[in-house]
Amino acid sequence: MGNRRAVVVSGARTPFVRAFGKLLKVDTIGLGVSAVGNLLAKTELDRTELDGIVWGGVILPGLAPNVGREIALDLKLPYSVEAYTVTRACASGLQAITNAVAAIERGDADVLIAGGSDSTSNAEIKLPQKVVHAMAPLAFGKATPGDVLGVMSQLVPISEILPKRPRIAERTTGQVMGEAAEEMARRNEISREAQDELAVRSHHRAAAAVRSGRFDDEVFAVELPNGDRVHTDDLIRADTSVEKLERLRPVFSKQGTLTAGNSSPLTDGAAAVLLMSEEKAKALGYTPLAAFRSWSYVGVDPGDQLLMGPALAMPFALERAGMKLGDIGFVDMHEAFAAQVLAVIKMIGSKAFAKERLGRDEAVGDVDMEQLNLHGGSVAIGHPFGATGARMVTTVANELARGDKETALLGICAAGGLGAGAVMERVS
Amino acid sequence: MSDFLLELSKNPNARNVIKSLGLPIPMPQALARARGPWEERPLANQKVVVGVSSGAQLAGVIAETLAKAGADPLLAGPGHDEALWQAPGEAYGRPATTLPDPAPERLIAHGVVMDATGLSTPSDLGALHDLFHPLVGRISRSGRAIVLARPHLASGDPARAATQRALEGFVRALAKEIGRRGATAHVIYVDEGAEARLPALLRYLLSNRSAFLSGQPWHLTASAAKGGGTDVEVPITRPLEKKVALVTGAARGIGAATARLLAAEGAHVVCLDRPEDDGPVSQVARELGGSVLLQDVSAPDAGAKIAAALREAHGGVDVVVHNAGVTRDRTLAKMKRDKWDMTLDINLGAVLAIDEALLADGALRDGGRIICLSSVAGIAGNMGQTNYAASKAGIIGYVEALAPTVAARGITVNAIAPGFIETRLTDAIPAVIREVGRRLSNLGQGGLPRDIGDLVTFLASPGAQGLTGRTLRACGGAFIGA
Repeated sequence: MGNRRAVVVSGARTPFVRAFGKLLKVDTIGLGVSAVGNLLAKTELDRTELDGIVWGGVILPGLAPNVGREIALDLKLPYSVEAYTVTRACASGLQAITNAVAAIERGDADVLIAGGSDSTSNAEIKLPQKVVHAMAPLAFGKATPGDVLGVMSQLVPISEILPKRPRIAERTTGQVMGEAAEEMARRNEISREAQDELAVRSHHRAAAAVRSGRFDDEVFAVELPNGDRVHTDDLIRADTSVEKLERLRPVFSKQGTLTAGNSSPLTDGAAAVLLMSEEKAKALGYTPLAAFRSWSYVGVDPGDQLLMGPALAMPFALERAGMKLGDIGFVDMHEAFAAQVLAVIKMIGSKAFAKERLGRDEAVGDVDMEQLNLHGGSVAIGHPFGATGARMVTTVANELARGDKETALLGICAAGGLGAGAVMERVS
Repeated sequence: MSDFLLELSKNPNARNVIKSLGLPIPMPQALARARGPWEERPLANQKVVVGVSSGAQLAGVIAETLAKAGADPLLAGPGHDEALWQAPGEAYGRPATTLPDPAPERLIAHGVVMDATGLSTPSDLGALHDLFHPLVGRISRSGRAIVLARPHLASGDPARAATQRALEGFVRALAKEIGRRGATAHVIYVDEGAEARLPALLRYLLSNRSAFLSGQPWHLTASAAKGGGTDVEVPITRPLEKKVALVTGAARGIGAATARLLAAEGAHVVCLDRPEDDGPVSQVARELGGSVLLQDVSAPDAGAKIAAALREAHGGVDVVVHNAGVTRDRTLAKMKRDKWDMTLDINLGAVLAIDEALLADGALRDGGRIICLSSVAGIAGNMGQTNYAASKAGIIGYVEALAPTVAARGITVNAIAPGFIETRLTDAIPAVIREVGRRLSNLGQGGLPRDIGDLVTFLASPGAQGLTGRTLRACGGAFIGA
């Protein structure tokens, strides 16, 4: 213990697909089964070596919320492969991974799979609490006709018992996430043009990665119940341009700047990474790709700037790694909205922000836009909430292993005013 | 205790009917009041228009305060130094924008703040008209107008003294003009060297915790040493964490409301009342997690007993709120001596005796607060209240004199003069007189006990270090009084 280091050995994900589209028939467990199954197949890991699964998810199935364990059982992994599931909004996937890293470095485990999945297409429609409470007499034992009548009499007027569609809204403020990002765009003076440019670059870079085969080692087909297979991401648009995006209408506010083109779409998908202690990886003959040098999770007031968390978490992660932004090879940020990424970058570059919010005399630094999201981000690739962290870690680990950069900085914003940051380094 | 007109005015239909019929019924505007404990950003997403006079000295403080409090600043008129607004805007995502001239037709602002410290000659006062004339109708319901000034005698220049003193008259009159829609106006005189004490007061007056205060000058000084001698940052939320507060007369009314608000900001509240009120005072203490001290404040040994009890249970006390008081109203011609004595003993004599005991043995800690309850009756006098008015005016003199003697220890001493507050006391006033009393203020309504509690809480907080030796009216800008 103490000097143990956890390393990323490999990663795999499903294609990221528009919600209510081709993956409609596969729920979050099924998506996780696909990603983990393909990761095991790709790495040819002896299943008895696997200690456990740490999974991240946001829209958890009500009847089986421990998605990680369901994946292990569905894959017929040894029953000894324990599993648990974490939820931290859009940072759930990264949380699962850092939990696994911590467990390995602490000596609790040698080999873990961590990742996450979400199927917005299979979000459960919630019954209002009034209905749940009224139905209580039917929940226990055998109901008499009188019970049934009693229950029915409580369920009027009908408008109060209609099921509610899930919304991506803050529980405490009621603000929809896009409205929060719109607010951040206004308050940080982020222009529509800058957002559209970032979105276009995200699409072009993701498309280039697909074209060059860069993702071939990361994306594996999902088999549908009818035997068909879904092979590729379907949200990336190689042919998009600022001219095309500027024609789109704002969606969250009439005078706003956020459009469907510069926001991340609702997406179905899963991603997983294989983590081992460095010794174990060596013993099993794997070549490690990368390791974590530090991470940080933060919380801010969700009623203020909901998605600014990374502007604090990224500097804190750098500090814990003993590094400055200038030392970092490249940056990978989750693009919930282009506006949110640009607002966070502006904060990080601001001396005034550093002084007031971080208690530092100098700005954290300017993010080199050329070195940001080298292979695209969530605006282009899509954002299955729980899966994004593992997608980013996989792509970053591969980039560190293949490229000439030593370190990378990750940043993820999340609902509830949460933010995550992490520093990853090459293992050589 | 309910105010029929205020309830009626909350009904938009009734409001419209009365307005369109032109009935001569005053319709007071229900005041916006805060819910829950102090927030980090009490002005979240509120527009605040800022104007500056040439040579103004406090714009930087305004910029910082507004951005931190969550307001969106709009800069009106000439003379702004954009550089002052750049950093706070960037740090808090609250960029200042320039207000077009004329202002957009649909603009409604929560507040207008003017830094008038640069006004030096009577002709400079035209800047007041330039800023407020076009905006006075744009101040929202329960909005705020605040003018920042320098003490008029500070410069020794008669012209400048006249000009700075003129601001007080302006604000008092403006308060009457905008009071009908629940909006209030204040002027803050900031001593040289007391600038660092401005943000807390500015934030407080702009927030809806100052709902029932209006038309008042505030004087900020550096005279009271920094609380506890430490150079810690003034806390914005839970300002009374780890403080012990004593509230006398805590069983009901203003005392109970004050105790609740102090506890909500983190203070441990010792609720003091007479032994006969054991039931209600214990209930208050239980509700807010405080403790009970049963003591008749006018007993000869009250001070020593209270000091001993506070020392023993808490090692001392940080905030003392002298709220216990009585009225024994009679015209002087009919007043018996015992009524006179009782009123003066409890309202004035007991306050002095308790403070003497607390200060003598050091039970009141450095950086402490003494907050006394005076009354507008003590400022203006009331028919049938010669005893009460004497006692409450005595409080005014007392805080003035005591404040400088304890300033070096960072202790501040202030009084609050409530106007018409809806309590058991005012409920006992005959209906017609009560109705007149309610309406005779800028805001056209009585205050609530919590309005006094809100001001007590602010004065108790570390941010109020710049206020001492003052009597602050909490009367909605009552027609009577200074």
